[in-house]
Amino acid sequence: MELGFLLQLLLNGLIVGALYGVVAMSFVLIYKASQVVNFAQGEFLLVGAWVCWWLLTAWQLPFWLGFLVTLAFMTLFGILLQVVVLRPLIGEPVISVIMVTIGLSIFFQALMKWMFGVFAQPFPPVFAVERVRVLGLEVQSVYLFSLAISVAIMLGFWWFFTYSKHGLAMRATAFDQQVAASLGVSVPRVFAMSWAISAVVSAVAGVVVGVVNGVSSALSFYGIKVFPAVILGGLDSIVGAVLGGLIVGVLENLAQWLDAEWLNWGNMYQVAPFYAMILILLIKPYGLFGTETIERV
Amino acid sequence: MATMTPAGDYRSTYREDMTIFPTRGSRIALWVGLALLCLAPLVLDRYLLHLLINIGFLGIAALGLNILVGFTGQISIGHAAFFGFGAFASAWAHEALHIPVALAIPLAGLATALIGLVFGAPAARLKGLYLAIATLAAQFILEDFFARARWFTGGVAGRVTEPFSLFGFAFDTDETYFYVVLAFVVVMFAGAANLMRTRDGRALVAVRDHYLSAEMMGINLAYYRTLSFGIASFYAGIGGALYAHYLLFVSVEAFNILFSIQFLGMVIIGGLGTIKGSLMGAAFMVLLPEVVQSLADMLAGGAVDRALKLGASISYLREMAIGAAIILFLIFEPDGLAHRWQQIKAYWKLYPYSH
Amino acid sequence: MTMTTKRRVLGLAATAAVAAAFALPAAAQPIPVGHLMDNSGATSDVGVPYGQGVADALTWVNQARNGINGRRLNVLGFDYGYQAPRAVSQYQAWVNRERVVAIQGWGTADTEALVRFVTRDRIPYISGSYSAALTDAAGKSGRQGVEAAPFNFFYGPSYSDALRAMLQWAKQDWERRGQQGRPRYVHMGANHPYPNSPKEAGEALARELGFEVLPAIQFALTPGDYTAQCLTLKNQGANYAYLGNTAGSNISVLRACHTAGVQVQFLGNVWGMDENAMKAAGAAANGVVFPVRTAVVWGQDAPGMQTVRQISRISDPQGQAYRPVHYLAGVCSAMLMVEAMETAAQNGGQITGPRIRDGFYARQNWVPRGFEGVCAPVTFTAEDHRGTMRVALYRAVVTGDTSQGSVAELMSNGTMRIEPVTTIELERRRDWLGW
Repeated sequence: MELGFLLQLLLNGLIVGALYGVVAMSFVLIYKASQVVNFAQGEFLLVGAWVCWWLLTAWQLPFWLGFLVTLAFMTLFGILLQVVVLRPLIGEPVISVIMVTIGLSIFFQALMKWMFGVFAQPFPPVFAVERVRVLGLEVQSVYLFSLAISVAIMLGFWWFFTYSKHGLAMRATAFDQQVAASLGVSVPRVFAMSWAISAVVSAVAGVVVGVVNGVSSALSFYGIKVFPAVILGGLDSIVGAVLGGLIVGVLENLAQWLDAEWLNWGNMYQVAPFYAMILILLIKPYGLFGTETIERV
Repeated sequence: MATMTPAGDYRSTYREDMTIFPTRGSRIALWVGLALLCLAPLVLDRYLLHLLINIGFLGIAALGLNILVGFTGQISIGHAAFFGFGAFASAWAHEALHIPVALAIPLAGLATALIGLVFGAPAARLKGLYLAIATLAAQFILEDFFARARWFTGGVAGRVTEPFSLFGFAFDTDETYFYVVLAFVVVMFAGAANLMRTRDGRALVAVRDHYLSAEMMGINLAYYRTLSFGIASFYAGIGGALYAHYLLFVSVEAFNILFSIQFLGMVIIGGLGTIKGSLMGAAFMVLLPEVVQSLADMLAGGAVDRALKLGASISYLREMAIGAAIILFLIFEPDGLAHRWQQIKAYWKLYPYSH
Repeated sequence: MTMTTKRRVLGLAATAAVAAAFALPAAAQPIPVGHLMDNSGATSDVGVPYGQGVADALTWVNQARNGINGRRLNVLGFDYGYQAPRAVSQYQAWVNRERVVAIQGWGTADTEALVRFVTRDRIPYISGSYSAALTDAAGKSGRQGVEAAPFNFFYGPSYSDALRAMLQWAKQDWERRGQQGRPRYVHMGANHPYPNSPKEAGEALARELGFEVLPAIQFALTPGDYTAQCLTLKNQGANYAYLGNTAGSNISVLRACHTAGVQVQFLGNVWGMDENAMKAAGAAANGVVFPVRTAVVWGQDAPGMQTVRQISRISDPQGQAYRPVHYLAGVCSAMLMVEAMETAAQNGGQITGPRIRDGFYARQNWVPRGFEGVCAPVTFTAEDHRGTMRVALYRAVVTGDTSQGSVAELMSNGTMRIEPVTTIELERRRDWLGW
């Protein structure tokens, strides 16, 4: 029983961690492309999941259609945010940009509560829920589905940045905006595109969590869990973000295991990632895999 | 000292450059303003006094954050946790050590400053974004500590505090406590205005403007960044202690991340790197929810109210207004209220020949 | 403090005297009453229907009964978002600026923080918190940390007593099912005064009844992913688990545990389960046992339901809305205050805090007039504010898909049901007072 418990927690950590990884990836995407630290990343999950839920319950759309409409909506949403709110702030100090995204986060959290209430709402059953046995452990199929989606998104990212024209343009912009612009890359368009992709990918994660746990304000907390993940993985590395997400997911569940077996403090699950983050920053001020910027005058 | 600011820069000594009051008029205006404020409890009703008291202690804490963010260029998303530490420290010092409240408040400020130094020392190595995230973590860790440390905070149930009293007279009404807060506001703001005229104050600004140049000019970066955290925490601690003895109850719930963000909002809306802006920002953040509330009251019962369910969701509207105010200010008024105030003054000074 | 209290009392008396002298027809003076609600915070899931019940009932008293003895109630509502400091701040505004004579309150953290204040200001405080610490009216329990709370009232069994009743039921249930060995009990909830309130009392009785008590499991008051907690629960092998939070976060736990395949009998607290929560949790809510404070639920009939339906039309003129259990509890707790005020106003009496408090002691097995068969009878004495020791236990039954259709439809077509399980009459033990 003991070992089984630990294994189950670890598996849960990997599943949740993969989702953290996906969100962290889309966070890093925005940071790399437009140098904006997005404190409203969690609200992308929240808005996406609520919109999808609303389409499915109020309009009775089939899942695939509602899902596609949600993705289209999130594309527009991401572009609009970038063009209307963040474009005027190009060139402003870091703190102003951070504050604007915090403002967005407060605004959308309150708006979603106002529109959809405070109850966790279940998704209509998307597929027949049944259990599957993996390595001798009982696992719900929704979890496997969520893991599969996470891996698919990660593969999609890899393909996009390695082979597609737009992906290469984004990498070029992230590397050096002026050079990219001089080579014919439209920097404003790349900015808008990075926000759109980030919003869409986060919304997918939001819908997945919604299908598993129900849609609720808890989704916006994913945006905060992203920080330990990216600090672990380094702010500018997409692969690092995925790794960081996985580590945070596993770390949380290990903390819960320690807590349940020996400490009985409670709440370790919530705070452990932040302790880890502070420790890492104390030792390595630029994160585990982050690149140290060397400044020359 | 001239009665009007001259049209050009005629200051020829450092002394003239560093003066707080550029004209006699500004000095007189300050004294008259203070005198008027002293009369406030006799004229204003308790509701307005309550708002003024809130603006006072929040303004003190916001000024601390402004010294950190606006003057030194460090970011902190955990200011509310330090504010809370000051509140708990003062309540605890009074209850456990039987120190009179009037003494416990400055002591709480010092204790919070110490904690600020402890957190500030490692933070001095971090820059920009990494610092923002580290202070965010500090916010969550301190909140968790407050909920656990029952001996210090009363745990999740909170702690009932005693009113401020001096020589047997209890300042336990809005009318009397107003003077306590006013006294602290005057001392703390005068202190900050003077700090910025000293070598240390200018060193902080130099660190913000270009830390490499500052270091080359012989300014110890780590020292000043840590010092700035200490000063900011001292102000937060005083503000928090004043809050504790006004509300007569402290609980961990108040010092959440949203409160920290509100402090940042005050500083940005008031104006980064301005002293009076901190007070303006605090006033804005205190008055904004009241305005939203009264708007909702005006619409209550009407068709708009029924369609939008305003009555039941006033809290969400308040939060949305805070979020929207932060966004709109940063887009349209990035230099804050203090800057706008200068522009309005300049406009009237030159009226009608402003262009 | 004594000086200022005296001054305040004198001031109050003076104001009252002046008011009495000038406003000869007392009818013109509305009675200021505070109403603290959580419409947006961590407990707003149940705070909204409860607050609506209180507000509708007080509005109805003004409309249908022309207030208290001809004086209308001026109800001052405030949404404090379940943040105790905001409640304290609002309390001071109400007492100093509006001079309220009674308050309809809400959460445990804020009510317990305000005990000292309402005792000092002599303002009856009818809370939505049923914390047992509020029942020791004369401070005679001698428990550490429990202060005398002569002005605190609530409608229903205390959290501790409700849990004690559920544990007694659990013991019977264990024996009836012919299970071997000692049953295992675990307390679950946030680290917050409200879920913590019955923790020790419950664990103590569980030991007394022969349960094995497991280390408590923590989960926040907000919805979230509680899979890790459910895996812990499964690993512990608990048989009976108390859910200390409100419905919103309990649903998350129920769903996560359902998905993780945890086999355990959940015991909800009064705020832990309702019709909305059953719809949101679906099959995961099936089988949860929880206390219900009123004699009937919406859709059932009783003599007093006629009045309750009238009250419901205040905020729902079409009469379409389904009102969850908390709405009915809100109506009953508001009506207790109204009748205590009527008692205070009898024979030309002033409606003051102490007189309203005495109004609560005026009747035995007290059911507000016109609410027969809805509100359960309560008895308050000057030493014991445990209104009732009778705990009616119900079971949530969910038989189908709840994601389509409204709560009203699901309840009327039987997809969701609230079934009576048993009613436990607890002994009014002295050592349980204030605990």
